[in-house]
Amino acid sequence: MSVCRARSLSLFGIDALPVEVEVDVSPGLPGFSIVGLPDAAVQEARERVRVAISNSGYKFPIKRVIVNLAPANLRKEGPAFDLPIALGILAASGALAPAGLERAAVVGELSLDGGVRGIKGALSMAEGARKEGLSRLVLPCRDAPEAAVIGGVEVFGMRTLKEAVEFLGNGLRRAPTEPAPQNETDDSAADDFADVAGQRYAKRALEVAAAGAHNVVMSGPPGSGKTMLARRMPGILPPLTMEERIEVTKVHSASGEGNGSLITHRPFRSPHHTVSTSGLAGGGSNPRPGEVSLAHNGVLFLDELPEFGRTTLEALRQPLEDGHVTISRVAATLCYPARITLLCSMNPCPCGHAGDKRKACRCTAGQIERYQARISGPLLDRMDIFVDVPRLSRQELRDEPSAEASAVVRDRVRKARATQISRQGSPNSMLSGRKLRKMCALAGDAETLFSRAVETLGLSGRGHDRVLRVARTVADLAGERGIGADHLAEALNYRRSHLLGR
Amino acid sequence: MEDSERHDERAKHLFLSHLQARVGSSLVARLGNLSPGAIFETPYADLVDKVGKDQKLERLFDGLQRRFDLALVEAQMKERGISAITLADEAYPGMLRNVPDPPPALYLDGAIPEEPCVALVGSRKASATGIEMAGKLGRALAERGVCVVSGLALGVDAAAHQGAVDAAGRTVGVLGCGIDVVYPRSNRALFDSVRRHGALVSEYFLGEAPLSWRFPARNRIIAGLVTTVVVVEAPEHSGALITARHGLEAGRDVWAVPGPPGVRECRGSNGLLADGGGVLWDIPEFLEAVAPRGGAGPELPAPSVPAGLPDDEAAALCGVGLEPRGVDAVARRSGMVMSELLPALALLELKGFVHRDAVGAYVRRAVP
Repeated sequence: MSVCRARSLSLFGIDALPVEVEVDVSPGLPGFSIVGLPDAAVQEARERVRVAISNSGYKFPIKRVIVNLAPANLRKEGPAFDLPIALGILAASGALAPAGLERAAVVGELSLDGGVRGIKGALSMAEGARKEGLSRLVLPCRDAPEAAVIGGVEVFGMRTLKEAVEFLGNGLRRAPTEPAPQNETDDSAADDFADVAGQRYAKRALEVAAAGAHNVVMSGPPGSGKTMLARRMPGILPPLTMEERIEVTKVHSASGEGNGSLITHRPFRSPHHTVSTSGLAGGGSNPRPGEVSLAHNGVLFLDELPEFGRTTLEALRQPLEDGHVTISRVAATLCYPARITLLCSMNPCPCGHAGDKRKACRCTAGQIERYQARISGPLLDRMDIFVDVPRLSRQELRDEPSAEASAVVRDRVRKARATQISRQGSPNSMLSGRKLRKMCALAGDAETLFSRAVETLGLSGRGHDRVLRVARTVADLAGERGIGADHLAEALNYRRSHLLGR
Repeated sequence: MEDSERHDERAKHLFLSHLQARVGSSLVARLGNLSPGAIFETPYADLVDKVGKDQKLERLFDGLQRRFDLALVEAQMKERGISAITLADEAYPGMLRNVPDPPPALYLDGAIPEEPCVALVGSRKASATGIEMAGKLGRALAERGVCVVSGLALGVDAAAHQGAVDAAGRTVGVLGCGIDVVYPRSNRALFDSVRRHGALVSEYFLGEAPLSWRFPARNRIIAGLVTTVVVVEAPEHSGALITARHGLEAGRDVWAVPGPPGVRECRGSNGLLADGGGVLWDIPEFLEAVAPRGGAGPELPAPSVPAGLPDDEAAALCGVGLEPRGVDAVARRSGMVMSELLPALALLELKGFVHRDAVGAYVRRAVP
């Protein structure tokens, strides 16, 4: 009997599915083939494995070697099968006791000198191994701390193939890798709100947005500080929960952007406006998470919103609605999480100076109309807060009293968000339908004011819901249980301007 | 004149109108006192010494002379429900006939009302106050039975037309493009309203494009149709000022609504005041001047003093000026914190004391 089995895992979306690596070494014309829907990177494992085995001081069997990756119908991609294939061959040719491979999942890429290289999606692999009931996970040393975070499975990091063989085959005892110590959010180096003079209105709007995870559009002439404000948004976001940290890390790790430890900051992604649809939403023939998924549980900042391609922006509708992206291929359907706060900036017109007191706008009405029509109504409907950011003169900037630090704002935001989670289990931006009516019931003054506002300002059904949601957040920030007239009135300021919403 | 003769005259004017739509009125003016008939019949070669040699022009002349087909023109108009009046017709508006450069033919979608007409013109990008003023004037004039004439552009023009429509009065929109072309497209609904409440008028035949030189040219028609031109808000070098100049040349009264000094959008209209234009500071006084009724009209409500406002709203109102101001500027002037100012502003807006404009700036409203 010369068939040996090694257990491994393959990344599918952000989840790891079990893959069995079967190796058969039999007499015959020497050869090495891999079957089971391998892609090019897996095929090339033949060369890497052959050389890595010889360079580690073992003998590559001069026999007929067949490797099967099961289940055979699942596409296997990437170099992470190098290590299990090599170990399987060594077991089948007698260099390693096959028993050593039982109850352990193995993943890792090999280099020609027999070293073990890092892989993508270590956290998902550990989770997959645990789900499969495997007690041990053997993976590259670099990724061990990340994988150890998940718990419930012993994680062992390997530097070389030789180390792995000795560990598995010879029963070498060693302690499993401990999860990396989690450094608590440290924002001392991050951009601070205190650095932005003036723009108290925009800052307040961003605070409300951060507290309720509302989507925001900032509109203003160039140089008014929209981008500067946006870059300071991560500093006022509430901290990630453990569950959220794992989700975020899984996505980043699956796209190869992980740094080997758990991500503790809310992600802030700002793709350039030339980004492609699959770059933004995820996809490609080897599907990868897009920017919207990399911003999961954080902020996706789209600077100069109208410059983005229309079809690109349309791809955002599903994630904004459902909190995930579904990528359908003939072979399979993948799902990436994508619960984001969308932060956009735009100029009011092509030249950017409409409504600017210091510089005349030279755009014709038609140009402005076309410019604003580039953003579809359905997308705008999903934005809760619209804020105008005017350009400030030097005089105005000098007169400003010193601004609040981000840490102070974050404290208020954290409290408000905690209120929301304990009340309804989700941030206010997710409220809709019956839940919205229940959580945002108005009483007395507020009700009178609201019916008057609906009448005077001609709020649409969606606009109506938006104001209620935002008012709920304003009340939460103020620490009030019910929505007061003041909270509602403040929320009315954040509605869409006429320029956009004709 | 015999009927057939008039028919012939009409055809020649329509031809001239088509020609002018292509080459502009200044060139036709250089043809001197040639009658439309003469222009129709004289070959280009004989006109060269008057208009100068130009191949493009030659092609145009020849083509039009050869291909102009009155029957086809009439049929096209009939199909679209458009009528035409030419200088040869008695129905041609008398006021317009007497301006220095009357259009040879006017295409109408609707009918020009008999009532006296007043033009309300101004900036496309007027302030909220300007738009509001235009709307009020349009309404007030229409209620007095005066027809409001304007250019169906955005801003002041649109507000003036809308005001007249709201008051169920009469209004005429003069276009700078073909009679069936809607420009700007966002005004489509307003075009229909104006057609129902009066007429769309253009010197350009069906389908002519909204070329930039056609708009200043149509302003002479606006000025020609009316007794009085009112400029609501106009920057220097603006179309509204061209209308005012045409009005002065044709001997019309020119009024302007005073705006805050130094504001770009009001420099042109304020300049008219400095040059001796009528000062439109009070709507009833103005109405009395342009359409005397003898006896006092209904008093317009005076700006009410915001007494009895809660303290924070009163404080916020102090921060809002007559010039649009961003929220931050209002906060600075009123000395309020953002979380108190924002509710106060929204309440003031609902009560009608302030207006939030398209870029989110607040301005006080004179009459809540």
